[in-house]
Amino acid sequence: MATINVNGIQHEVTASNDTPLLYVLRNELELSGPQFGCGISQCGACSVLLDGKEVRSCVLPVSAAVGKEITTLEGLPGRWATKKGLSKSDAEKTLHPIQRAWIEEQTPLCGFCQNGMMIKAAELLETNPTPSVAQIKEAFTTSGPSAHLCRCGSYTAIIDAVRRAARLMAEGGAR
Amino acid sequence: MREQNCVNVFGAALTRRNFVKTGGAMLVGFGLIDAKAAPAKNSLDPTRPGSWIEIHPDNTILIRTGKSDFGQSTAFTAYKQIVAEELSARFEAVTTVVMGDTDRTPDGSGAFDFLGGGMPNIRKAAAYTYQALLDLGSQRLGVPKDRIKAANGVFSANGKSVTYGQLVKGQQLKLTIPVEGNLTDIGGLTVTGDPPMKPVSEYTIIGKSFRNPVIPSKVGATEKWATDVRLPGMMHARMVHPKTLGSTLVSAGQVDKTRFPNAQVIVKGNLVGVVAPTEWEAIRAAQQVSNSTKWTDWKGLPGNANLFKHLREECDWTSTPVTKSDKTRGDAPAAIAGAAKTLKATYEMPFMKHAPIGPTMALADVRADGTVHIYTHNQNPQALRGEIAKMLGISIDNVVVRVYSGPGHYGRSNGGNAGAEDEAVILSKAVGKPVRVQWMRPEDFQWSTQSPAAYSDVEIGLDANGKMVAYQVDHYMPAMQDDRPVGAILAGLPTMPAPDEKQDFVQSTKNEIEDPWVYDGVAILAERGHGTFQIGQKASPLAIGLRDHSMRTPGQFQQNFPRELAVSEAAALAGADAIQFRIDHAREDRVLNILKAVRDASGWQTRVSPAPHATSTGSTAVRGRGVSMMFRSGTYWACVCEIAVTPATGAIVVEKYTIAVDPGIVVNPMQLKRQVEGGAVMGISHALLEEASLDRSGITSRDWFSYPILKMADVPEIKVVLLNRPEVGRYGGGSEAANALAAPAIAAALLDATGKTARRLPLKSVYVQALMKT
Repeated sequence: MATINVNGIQHEVTASNDTPLLYVLRNELELSGPQFGCGISQCGACSVLLDGKEVRSCVLPVSAAVGKEITTLEGLPGRWATKKGLSKSDAEKTLHPIQRAWIEEQTPLCGFCQNGMMIKAAELLETNPTPSVAQIKEAFTTSGPSAHLCRCGSYTAIIDAVRRAARLMAEGGAR
Repeated sequence: MREQNCVNVFGAALTRRNFVKTGGAMLVGFGLIDAKAAPAKNSLDPTRPGSWIEIHPDNTILIRTGKSDFGQSTAFTAYKQIVAEELSARFEAVTTVVMGDTDRTPDGSGAFDFLGGGMPNIRKAAAYTYQALLDLGSQRLGVPKDRIKAANGVFSANGKSVTYGQLVKGQQLKLTIPVEGNLTDIGGLTVTGDPPMKPVSEYTIIGKSFRNPVIPSKVGATEKWATDVRLPGMMHARMVHPKTLGSTLVSAGQVDKTRFPNAQVIVKGNLVGVVAPTEWEAIRAAQQVSNSTKWTDWKGLPGNANLFKHLREECDWTSTPVTKSDKTRGDAPAAIAGAAKTLKATYEMPFMKHAPIGPTMALADVRADGTVHIYTHNQNPQALRGEIAKMLGISIDNVVVRVYSGPGHYGRSNGGNAGAEDEAVILSKAVGKPVRVQWMRPEDFQWSTQSPAAYSDVEIGLDANGKMVAYQVDHYMPAMQDDRPVGAILAGLPTMPAPDEKQDFVQSTKNEIEDPWVYDGVAILAERGHGTFQIGQKASPLAIGLRDHSMRTPGQFQQNFPRELAVSEAAALAGADAIQFRIDHAREDRVLNILKAVRDASGWQTRVSPAPHATSTGSTAVRGRGVSMMFRSGTYWACVCEIAVTPATGAIVVEKYTIAVDPGIVVNPMQLKRQVEGGAVMGISHALLEEASLDRSGITSRDWFSYPILKMADVPEIKVVLLNRPEVGRYGGGSEAANALAAPAIAAALLDATGKTARRLPLKSVYVQALMKT
């Protein structure tokens, strides 16, 4: 039994403390952003932000997330709204510029890995608003517990989308 | 209401029931050629209105397709464009696409060949629909059909106009169109007949870059994925698969109830599963049960070290008839014996995994009334339906498969199953509750099917002028498509037969010639395909062994790598430039054009390989370039890879990848470009990294470290050149052939850079490093 803060809301969950956060997010909170890809922190499909840092929810015990701020793909718009000081109703109507960029670049193919890709992009762009292609490649390949893997081969489209997201965020983002 | 009349529309039948008070629609259904075939319950009745296309009074259009989109985007972009184009309606008027679900779509078949060689079912259905609308418009406007103009869903003539919505308003119109085939076969049903098609010169919608309408929900976390489906009372399950691909069960472990009070073990034959109310309990209880479950041992596989020796010397290549290409002609051995120069070489391709980024999962609900409901992501839900019905000995009437988004399968489930579906059904039936089976990452590598290993023996004869006078190849590959559900095999339940020489089409052991010959200037050609049984399958007490399945560019990958690398080697032997050598041996315009396009786009410098600077020693990177080409599903492809290889380490970096694509008509440039980029990356991954590791008992690859795929840092600059050729009049397929092109081009680039030829895939650094020392 633990209380966790997910996308700005406190949730009391019933799972045992050793349950990986992924199963809590998916099965108790019924969130659909983070996906089960490997269960061993090797692919990044399950990524969430923990106090702004990208982590693999498939191996993180829920107890380790207590007292921290968890942001899932569902929470990216709210995270952007907070940063920009938008009202809650405005926040609900918008997407994070990263999500907009992913749409404008038509990035997902099957899309199953893209949750982790957008979470990684959020971590990157919050710390480096103007990454070079080399820095983007480094972030998605060697900066985390493992590389973020895309089996459909959308890496080129992801690089395009991260660069577009950086421009959108610099311009002030949504609309 | 009563049936008013019946009009023949180019072989389709339009019937009209007049005057409904509200609504109205034109509903396009099917007329089965075999009228006696009874439509199944829980199927979309093929003769029922509304099974295919619906034209609504508000001018919106709904389409249904049995094809399941797995990220190709085709069902959501190209199909809408094709329908809107044939109907002369707006793209945005096609508001709804119903996809895959066995009870809500009409035609079945797999998620492959979406564009059907330019004539997908949906195009013909739309063409029939347009002709029926035109009949109605002609009557309404009181002018002959040939004087009516159609645009944006409106017919106009003599200053009068009527929308499609107005034509159907207040009426119940039903168009019955002819089809043939079998719903649950891999190919499903095919629309027949020959309705007039809109001239390509009048296209305004095909050729534009419409966005994929599914992407916003996937990006915005509102998509309902197969992984998100939940049912009341649903149990989570994890499987305990056998120790080897031939092990039978000695004794199943018991659940430690002190630790896992809610978990239970289900055993049926050699199928062992653990079911629990929560996912984490199921995972941990399955681990505990696995540790105490005993299996027989089995060592019936050759393992990696002996794989190609086993294939060449121990497999039965004689039981299955040898295939020949249509273009085979002349006496190749004599021509090669008399040639001025010859190349004789063997090429080896490994087992590769489809390796979806998410392991297979399915939720099944076997209900008390005997009906079976499956919620999953599957490339051929109608085929799965047939397989489940066979497994349980029930009618397909009692099976419904609903399809949701999921990880790409790349062919693995195009015959109906990826692994978890039948196991979920067996467990649900046993516990009387809905059961969700999720495979873990190691199982998805070790218990799924794979793309078969293969080898080819090539001989090429060159005359004194360096021209190819004869080309001979013998391709050897085990059966490529085993659609038996693995859980049914383990449980001892009925399945279709394993692939053998007696079966037709894809389930045969026959090795068909899949890579169409493109060098028509070569006078003498011998292309033969030799097939055999799956490795270890007959010897395995489970009848399992190494089960194979078609994977992107199936069979053609295994045949194109030998051909294209051998042709590059022959060019080097002839002292000719590799692209010019191909051009000199090609005759077909589109082959010549695609080669020139990739040459020009890549900045290719015409010269012989190896490069003047080539070296196979040293710790400084040396650069080279190579080319490859292929024809597949109506589309011509060519690519140039530029690499840097460090001889001392064997490490290859692909620096630039240029690809030219001529599909005839480009339906959606933006979507095609993204598909091609994806295929290019997967192809580089195949070429450099991918090989399923085997020991004598099974597959030892178990995760992304032991089966690495390409990472973002290793992606080259990719340049995609789309050649739109409306004069071809057809649109070819676009989402898989790029996979095959990288390997022969990279190997040719290695030859260019170092003078050494790597004839075995993958081009891992340890292999390349050793090759440099030969």
